[in-house]
Amino acid sequence: MRWIAILTVWVCLAPVHARAQWLDYPTKGIPRTADGKANLSAPAPRLPDGKPDLSGLWLGDQWGPAGHRPNPLGNARPSPPEMLPWAQKVFDERRANSIKDDPEARCMPQGVPKASTLPYPFELINAPGKLVMLYEMYSLRREIFTDGRELPKEFINPSWMGYSIGKWEGDEFVVTTAGINEQVWNIDLAGHPHSDVLRVTERLHRVDFGHMDILVAIDDPKTYTKPWIMPMMRYTLLPDTDLLEFVCEKNIDPQHMVGK
Amino acid sequence: MKISLLCIMAIGLGLSAMPALAHHSFAAEYDNKAPVDLTGTVTKVEWMNPHARFYLDVKDDAGKVTNWEFELGSPNGLMRQGWSRNSMKIGDTVSVQGSKAKDGSNLANARTVKLGDGRKLFAGSASETGRTEDKKAEQ
Repeated sequence: MRWIAILTVWVCLAPVHARAQWLDYPTKGIPRTADGKANLSAPAPRLPDGKPDLSGLWLGDQWGPAGHRPNPLGNARPSPPEMLPWAQKVFDERRANSIKDDPEARCMPQGVPKASTLPYPFELINAPGKLVMLYEMYSLRREIFTDGRELPKEFINPSWMGYSIGKWEGDEFVVTTAGINEQVWNIDLAGHPHSDVLRVTERLHRVDFGHMDILVAIDDPKTYTKPWIMPMMRYTLLPDTDLLEFVCEKNIDPQHMVGK
Repeated sequence: MKISLLCIMAIGLGLSAMPALAHHSFAAEYDNKAPVDLTGTVTKVEWMNPHARFYLDVKDDAGKVTNWEFELGSPNGLMRQGWSRNSMKIGDTVSVQGSKAKDGSNLANARTVKLGDGRKLFAGSASETGRTEDKKAEQ
């Protein structure tokens, strides 16, 4: 793939401003090194109340410039989740069909937690009583309420992106999400299913100015025999740029998809 | 000339060998083992999400012209890698390397494109390499 890098270097000599609005606009007030670049190793910033400031544009490292960062859990990966029989059947069927029936191909939202694992950035914005997540892909959004409300035991109106509350545990922001509707097809890129009782816990930890870890735990006793943890994902900050609009205008080729 | 951070990222992206999980079913539509390498004249460009597309009239050795459809990645990713909506114009001569559709139609997923002005760009669909270690990791 190295030749791609060489080509890209050549391509990148083209003027940046000609391509998209505000693709390359300096962010104000961020730490910089002597050469003017954002200092991604600077300490994690804090809000006036002393809590870590998670705001910024973030992109998962598996899609970003550093490729795969070392897994902080060592190279051990969590064991594959044990699924109940109905779920295993669904999962195997999806894999055999190369995931062709994912409603994402019909421009439907990816839901939580999958939306955070896509090859497009999301933006975290601090607001009174909530942390707002704007996802570039399909222009989705989440509000994570920090105003003390609790999640209900039952949801009369399950939604695609679910309902989220967030609380601080030291420097870790713990988000609990439930009420994700059953049209959300899968919880990850692998195609794992879920039920209406799914509860997702995301632990966000901003390691330094330019890096954040998110650890996701899945609790869904109607689908999995026990709670399980997804591989930790690391995210790198994208300074000096903004989200682009992403309106999914046209279904992705369902007529060309070939199953098993 | 200033190279933007995004360009540096894109370079790094190339160096890192993009991972590809089963992101919206590339494998259901295209065959990694059926490469295409075609040159033709641009007849149409659709600069839209989730996939930009363009169409080429490709002439074979006998002079017969077939219209081919090519799928690119999202304009969002393309713009971060050097494309603009004006990179390709009707009438340009363009060549494409990619993977053919599984259903036998004149459709391919473009991996790289050489534009009318000679620049060669990566076509930016993140789903095509399908590294096995990533698939195992997903589980």
